[in-house]
Amino acid sequence: MTAIESTFKKRAQAAVANKTLKAAIERTASTAEKKRAIAIAELPDFSNMRSCAKRIKDHVIANLDHYLETFERNAVASGAKVHWARTAEEASHIAVDICKMAKAKRVTRSKSMLGEEIGLPHALELAGIECVETDLAEHIVQLAGERPSHIVWPAMHKSREEIFSLFKSKHEKPPVSEEIADLVLSARRDLRQKFLTADVGISGANFLIADTGAVCVVTNEGNAELTTTPPKVHIVTAGIEKLVPSIEHAFVLLRLLVRSATGADITQYTTFHCGPKRPNDADGPEEFHIILVDNGRTQMLADGMEEMLRCIRCGACMNHCVVYRQVGGHAYGGTYPGPMGAVLTPVFDGLKQSRDLPHACTLNGRCAEVCPVGIPLPTLLRQLRSRSWRSGYEPWLTKANVSVWAQFAKRPKLYHAVSKIASKVIRLFQKNGRIRWMPLAGNWTRHRDLPAPASRSFMQLQRSRHKENGS
Amino acid sequence: MSLARKQIMGNISVALAHREKADEHSIDQEAVKLLTSFEPELPGLSIADVVEAFYTRTSGPKVGASITRISSMEELIDTVAGVLSEKGLVNKIALQPDRALVDLDWGQSGFQLGKEVDDGVVVGIARWGIAETGSLVFHSASDMPVLFNFLPSFHIVAVRASTIVPYLESYANAANIAGDPTPRNVCLVTGASGTTDIEGVLVTGAHGPRELHIILIDDTNQIVGTYDEN
Ligand code: SF4
Repeated sequence: MTAIESTFKKRAQAAVANKTLKAAIERTASTAEKKRAIAIAELPDFSNMRSCAKRIKDHVIANLDHYLETFERNAVASGAKVHWARTAEEASHIAVDICKMAKAKRVTRSKSMLGEEIGLPHALELAGIECVETDLAEHIVQLAGERPSHIVWPAMHKSREEIFSLFKSKHEKPPVSEEIADLVLSARRDLRQKFLTADVGISGANFLIADTGAVCVVTNEGNAELTTTPPKVHIVTAGIEKLVPSIEHAFVLLRLLVRSATGADITQYTTFHCGPKRPNDADGPEEFHIILVDNGRTQMLADGMEEMLRCIRCGACMNHCVVYRQVGGHAYGGTYPGPMGAVLTPVFDGLKQSRDLPHACTLNGRCAEVCPVGIPLPTLLRQLRSRSWRSGYEPWLTKANVSVWAQFAKRPKLYHAVSKIASKVIRLFQKNGRIRWMPLAGNWTRHRDLPAPASRSFMQLQRSRHKENGS
Repeated sequence: MSLARKQIMGNISVALAHREKADEHSIDQEAVKLLTSFEPELPGLSIADVVEAFYTRTSGPKVGASITRISSMEELIDTVAGVLSEKGLVNKIALQPDRALVDLDWGQSGFQLGKEVDDGVVVGIARWGIAETGSLVFHSASDMPVLFNFLPSFHIVAVRASTIVPYLESYANAANIAGDPTPRNVCLVTGASGTTDIEGVLVTGAHGPRELHIILIDDTNQIVGTYDEN
């Protein structure tokens, strides 16, 4: 067993035992689930809209080189500077270098999962540059010294009481009560001055618009524009899969993104940034940098995982995942949790280290059902499982169990004979059809009863039915 | 060309080696086709008239703005005064430096025009309105500072009925037809700033304006967008 594997199990176990965490996850995820259902039901034809979104993404991925070149050409023409990064380290390095060139002391950052993925907050800290997270949830997570637990609601694991005591100890003018409005006000007060005094603003991108070279960012709080407008320098970090041909294509995806994420029809602020401040503009950054990040994406393209490149980071798959809702985001141990994280983390951290994630799935298919770009997440997870098996990453005990089972499965007569005996033995432990304890089943019966096997198996029933029918 | 760029592009062409590489023109055509096949699936607009649909949408629960309708620009000053007094606010505002607003005689009506945008009241004018989402569209320029949409506590926005279009896509189209230069910054504002980051509860005034009031100017004799009920 690898070290990470045992810590994943430990993390998951600790999370399951944590009742407050469970309540916090349930509160936000179930609201998101309900709101999404209403928003999707209001659409004339979700499945058609989804297949259109899927086709747009597939078209871009199939012509990725063309769209990257077009985007770069148009972005450069608008006055932007385009940088390319093969790895997370390279991307962070480029961003930190730009900050250093600008002699930045303070940097504001609006929420971007890619920024987390490339370890940008940490890289800035190492360089001695103050990095202020401006999204409310990211601000909470930063003050608490934690990591985001959800890609849309990074602080969903925290209660208002916890946030109150956090703000009380960290804000200059602390909140007056535990009322959520007071907490929001306290963060607004704390961050306003920081917005206006930052040297560099860093954002992610929801879409890169190829035919204009613009970058689209959506928020509900308005923190992205406050992050990127006042400072002299705006840096965008974006994965190369974020491209769309035009603003019209972005609108198609935007409709699905917002409905799938929060159940709203559009975010309060949807902004397209195109290059630096122009000569007559009233405000805006003097420098506009775009860092295009690969970090495993071309590898996914080569490895038959290109469907994952359609992901628009809406978070619906985790809101609808039975495993995520039990263990929460932190248990996954990577930047991205839930079903999409279970596919992505093995790409970023290596399958050997994270082979447990593709297994942390019941394959119930809910994620694929709700995914607005039709990513077959269970299929991708199964692919990773078999890759892990073929690469010999599975622990010896699993391998031994499976090969023993295979010996039986290949011999139906033997299989039925043995299972008949086994079910008889198991039934010895039953009481009123339930089993409360049984040797070797402690891990199961500690938390719940095991239903006793039926006295006759399905095959036996079938056989006797056939006899009765005389066939 | 940077080494990183070369390698990324190299990886892509290796990974996509199986495909038949199309020329630029056919890629563009395919991209356009993706949109036309989608057209009938736009979300329904419940009201046949685009301006009515915009009005219903912005004043409804999804956008949560307040809205007043007036019949001409001349009524704007009095309307703003009315909105402010209803909120118990004094007539101290910052004006978006757009000619249509600046040329009005605010001083005459006892307004104090200031430069203080931070946490104050801003009166602005949107370039376009979108009925589908109830969005106001702003194009950054010398007369449209981006921060005017984000720094105030109370945001009052005028929008002309003639600039209201049915769908998100129709905005892109209308801006094209009207010959709007591609601005550095396009911002779609839909309601006041809000957050659900703490316990999933919606609170407005997260970082940007706490409230949005829209003043719809009915100049509909020159409608830009066309609209079919769907
Ligand atoms: S995999 Fe699909 S559902 Fe999950 S975040 Fe990505 S787009 Fe959303």
